[in-house]
Amino acid sequence: MNKAITVSNITKSYPGVLANSNVSLEVSEGSIHAIVGENGAGKSTLMKILYGMVKPDDGSISIFEKITQLSSPKDAIDSGLGMVHQHFMLADNLSVLESVILGIDNATLKNINLRRYKSEIMEVINKYNLNINLDKTIDELGVGEKQRVEILKVLFRGAKILILDEPTAVLVPQEVEELFNNLRDLKDNGVTIIFISHKLDEVLEIADEISVMRGGVMVNTVDSENISKKELAEMMIGKSLPKPPERQSSVGDLKILSVENLSASNDDGKDIFNDITFDLQSSEILGIAGVEGNGQRELVEAIIGIQEYNSGSIRLKDEIIDDLGIRERLGLGISFIPEDRQAQALIMDMTLTNNIILGRQSLKKYKTKLTTVNLSNATTASESVIGNFDVKTPNANTIATALSGGNQQKYVVGRELEDNPTLLIASQPTRGIDIGAQALIWEKLRSTRDDGLGVILISADLEELIGLSDRIVVIYQGNFVAELKPDEITPEILGSYMTGLRK
Amino acid sequence: MTRMKSKWLVLFIVFGLILTACGGGSDDAAEEVVAEEPAEELDSPATTAAAAAEPEAPATKVCLVLDIGGLGDQGFNDSAYLGYNMGIDEFGVEGTFLEPDEGGENRGELLNLCAEDGNDLIIGNGFLFDVAMTESATNFPDTNFAITDSVIDPANARGMIFAAEQGSFLVGVAAALTTTTNKIGFIGGVDIPLIHAFEVGFVAGVQAVNPDIEIDIKYASVPPDFSGFNDPVKGKEIALAQYEAGADVIYHAAGGTGIGMFEAAAEVSASTGSKVWGIGVDQDQYLTIGGAIPEVQEFILTSMVKKVEVAVYNAIADTVNGTFTGGPVAEDVESGGIDISYTGGYIDGIKDEIEAYRAKIVSGEIEVPSSR
Amino acid sequence: MKLRLRLVSLSAPLIALMLAVSLTSLILLGIGKDPIETFRMMFEYGSTGKSIVSVLNRTTPLYISAVAVAVGFKMGLFNIGVEGQYLLGALLAAAIGTSFAISRPIHIFFIMLIAVVASSLWAAIAGYLKVYKGIHEVISTIMLNYIGTGLIAYLLSNIFFDKDEKNAIPQTVELPESGRLPALNNLFGIEDLPNLHGFLPITILLGLIYYLLIWKTTLGYDLRVTGANPIAARFSGVDPKRLTIIAMIISGGFAGLVGMGPLLGYFHQYTIDFPPGLGFAGIGVALLGRNHPVGMFLGAILFGFLERSAQILDLRGVPKEIETMMSAFILLIVVVFYEIIRRYILTQQIKDASKKIGEN
Repeated sequence: MNKAITVSNITKSYPGVLANSNVSLEVSEGSIHAIVGENGAGKSTLMKILYGMVKPDDGSISIFEKITQLSSPKDAIDSGLGMVHQHFMLADNLSVLESVILGIDNATLKNINLRRYKSEIMEVINKYNLNINLDKTIDELGVGEKQRVEILKVLFRGAKILILDEPTAVLVPQEVEELFNNLRDLKDNGVTIIFISHKLDEVLEIADEISVMRGGVMVNTVDSENISKKELAEMMIGKSLPKPPERQSSVGDLKILSVENLSASNDDGKDIFNDITFDLQSSEILGIAGVEGNGQRELVEAIIGIQEYNSGSIRLKDEIIDDLGIRERLGLGISFIPEDRQAQALIMDMTLTNNIILGRQSLKKYKTKLTTVNLSNATTASESVIGNFDVKTPNANTIATALSGGNQQKYVVGRELEDNPTLLIASQPTRGIDIGAQALIWEKLRSTRDDGLGVILISADLEELIGLSDRIVVIYQGNFVAELKPDEITPEILGSYMTGLRK
Repeated sequence: MTRMKSKWLVLFIVFGLILTACGGGSDDAAEEVVAEEPAEELDSPATTAAAAAEPEAPATKVCLVLDIGGLGDQGFNDSAYLGYNMGIDEFGVEGTFLEPDEGGENRGELLNLCAEDGNDLIIGNGFLFDVAMTESATNFPDTNFAITDSVIDPANARGMIFAAEQGSFLVGVAAALTTTTNKIGFIGGVDIPLIHAFEVGFVAGVQAVNPDIEIDIKYASVPPDFSGFNDPVKGKEIALAQYEAGADVIYHAAGGTGIGMFEAAAEVSASTGSKVWGIGVDQDQYLTIGGAIPEVQEFILTSMVKKVEVAVYNAIADTVNGTFTGGPVAEDVESGGIDISYTGGYIDGIKDEIEAYRAKIVSGEIEVPSSR
Repeated sequence: MKLRLRLVSLSAPLIALMLAVSLTSLILLGIGKDPIETFRMMFEYGSTGKSIVSVLNRTTPLYISAVAVAVGFKMGLFNIGVEGQYLLGALLAAAIGTSFAISRPIHIFFIMLIAVVASSLWAAIAGYLKVYKGIHEVISTIMLNYIGTGLIAYLLSNIFFDKDEKNAIPQTVELPESGRLPALNNLFGIEDLPNLHGFLPITILLGLIYYLLIWKTTLGYDLRVTGANPIAARFSGVDPKRLTIIAMIISGGFAGLVGMGPLLGYFHQYTIDFPPGLGFAGIGVALLGRNHPVGMFLGAILFGFLERSAQILDLRGVPKEIETMMSAFILLIVVVFYEIIRRYILTQQIKDASKKIGEN
């Protein structure tokens, strides 16, 4: 069989990091080839090299058995490559048709013959069986549809090789199934697909061949028929796979949080969430499941005081906190791990020690008599977090941005657990970090839960949600639509509640 | 990204503001460029002339510190600069002229610097120098100082003052005899007592001829905003409004702002078909502004000439001749330091009446008021 | 940060200065002047005793103005209105300060207090407009500068004008002796030099207060955090509305002190000759000094030195506008190099960190 891509002995180093070391890879034409590896294993670098975004220090690349110099994404596109990024690059107010055309022509949209393009695009849609309505605007589309538009975009630009970067990270199981059907159609039509993921079940299901990377090195390429998930995982992390911890908890008696009839609407009067009522006990992890954008983010932000609510009441232990500001609420022992650590939880160019005070400004511990910042207590706390959470850093005075994502996240989680909080709100606590860090964070969440902490957990990783939670509520279009017992459900069932298929 | 963008935003603003703060806009910059040229030319002939005339004796050194507005105001800074150049040409003195920054201790520092640099005569052009020059003249008792429009205490400092109200009276007479609408305008640069003298003299002159004439009095700015001395756009705006309201003669005492008034006169005359007039100030503006902008020349009725150049020239001459004296030196319509110009010939027909008023002022029969 | 990186971070202003000197030299050559001779003249004149006193006197208001701007910069607020704030504060302090006479330290304290209160209230208007009306502070402070100029003109000409025979131009009554800050010349034994303003020690104290406020208090921490990452700051409990108003008030408070050096040490009254432009110049100094108390002090000295030493130029036939251009070059270049060096240092820190982690 012909090779769509041949990568020979690619090496790429960044200051202090060997991102790709002598990496070779062969992808057969018309196959689905998965590349798996932990964060930092070198997958992204390899893809950036393939797509012409990064120039390798050494090695060569052949596309359709022809040595090709890729010095920009344009070169890659001209050679027949197309990339679907994890984060969609679509403008909400454009129609699907306009989005596909955008950037193809030098002409402005006004001068383009939309009808001619439309018929050409329809041919592509029909050929690959894509199920896209060209007349909708982007903001009307669901996540899965948006992804198909991205795929259509690259196909319409003539791509014969598709690179998909973590395509399932944003999808619920039903959407994943739909994506896989599309990918199979594409494959049948001769398109080569490179599929980057760390979700091994999915990889085993869809891929013909699987390449495993670890620490910048290509460990192995295997046939997906001949390998088990366990073997694959061990190849990937070099040791045996951590599992979401077993639940063996007994939920406590103390009522930590009680939310009553909470409702909020946006400026247009549209409901964000509606009449939400729930309790949280001590030693309990309450999972909130929902497809992104269904109100769960705003709900937890309402609890810490960022999101305003029109009606309802929040009680922390015995105290009604509705009239308190964010700082007062945090001061009462609410801890918050926001979903985007770099944008919401850290000051990237401040030192770790300075970051420990973030969100704890009102804590007596970090003050001195003259309301000045108490750096010595901050240093002590910072060092203790670094020790307890195995944060890999030269010292507490390193700036946050110098740490890897996983270490940043461990530090954030450590900080939020440092001062014995009453309530922890954890939003996507292990998103985008390596398995080692993930396991440690799971372990810490579980042990502090066992010590009495009440936790509200939001996660797009349904296995994580099911594995950690003592109870799961499903939020759909701003309403709680179901309360489930984690040991009675699978990700598929949960997904059907989240998408409103099941009620 | 946003970080970068905001940085550039700031930089942009900063530079915009620095430019505005230092220059008062591109008009100034252009003027200064024009001004530098004669300065360059002037340096060399002055020094060579001095060297040729008396190679053994050091030349007399003169320093002129101009006021805000600087060269190119077609008014009193340019007049002083003219007198300074006349002195240089006549006596081969070595000259330096400086322009101070706006505000601050800078004036005093420049005066001191000139004194330390061995200048024999230091001229501060404008009453704003009074505090600084009093101090400087006290510190350098052997140096001659001269200040325009003010009188200060030190014996080595000459106060060159002008009876601007008398000249304004005469152009007021000319305006009153010229108007057909019986409406006349006055534009002052900045609302300060110095300019009030122009205003009240002018009003007195107009009313001496015909007390029924309406006079519309406007000022371009109020202190500490001194932009009214150098704001042609504002001048044009005010003049257009006054002409619109029926005035057919306007007198300005507003430095560079007056240029706008003459432009307005030309514009209004062209659009309405009936000729309206502007009256110049400080220099014979038929020649200066009219020379620079020929299309406004025919609308310059006359000018109230305040011969700062004569006073400056005299100060240089007295220094060279060793006859310099401190104290007030007043120029008026009798001495000729204050005058009315007949250039252009538009008021030749009423010359006798104007000169009769001059005689009455000289004789003391008419006492022109100088303050409100 | 390592010593090596600290030194690297100092290189930006030095590079900017050198490049600005080179560019200025090219321009001097272009107009037929000898650059070496020009700079020698400037340095020679700028380093005389009198000049040093004058440079220090210039540094005082420039530095405080930079500090006022920097307080805003630290949280990402652009207070372009220091100009109007300090002039208004100085006018009110000068005018009201004459209405009472008490012992000197108390009198001076009250004059300063009036300036601080007036300026910070004026600045607070911009804070209020931003928080409650959504008007960007750049727009509102620029507009407030214009309004301030008009207000000052009105107050000076109509309310506070000391109408006296000899006063041709609007000015306030002179401050009584007790309201004047004595010069420091006796202290340093430099009686033969021009007056060294008594505000210099207060200026240094203000620099220290600024440092403590920004780096050693919770409020300063909130300001810095908000400037670096407003979203994270909000998640940490910072109330951006409250903080914006507080920052504008503090910035305006510092602005109020900008005019105090000239007022208490030289003019003793508000006249139309009271130095304008310091508020804008302070923006440049804050940029050059990267909002750092020591950096801004050096920046203020540099600009003060350039301004003073340029006085000699016209006397020697070189247009003094050269100095304005040079200052502009310095600012333009330094901003570029600060960014280049910031990135370099960041990569170095990441590299150092990953190396050390590797060693452990």
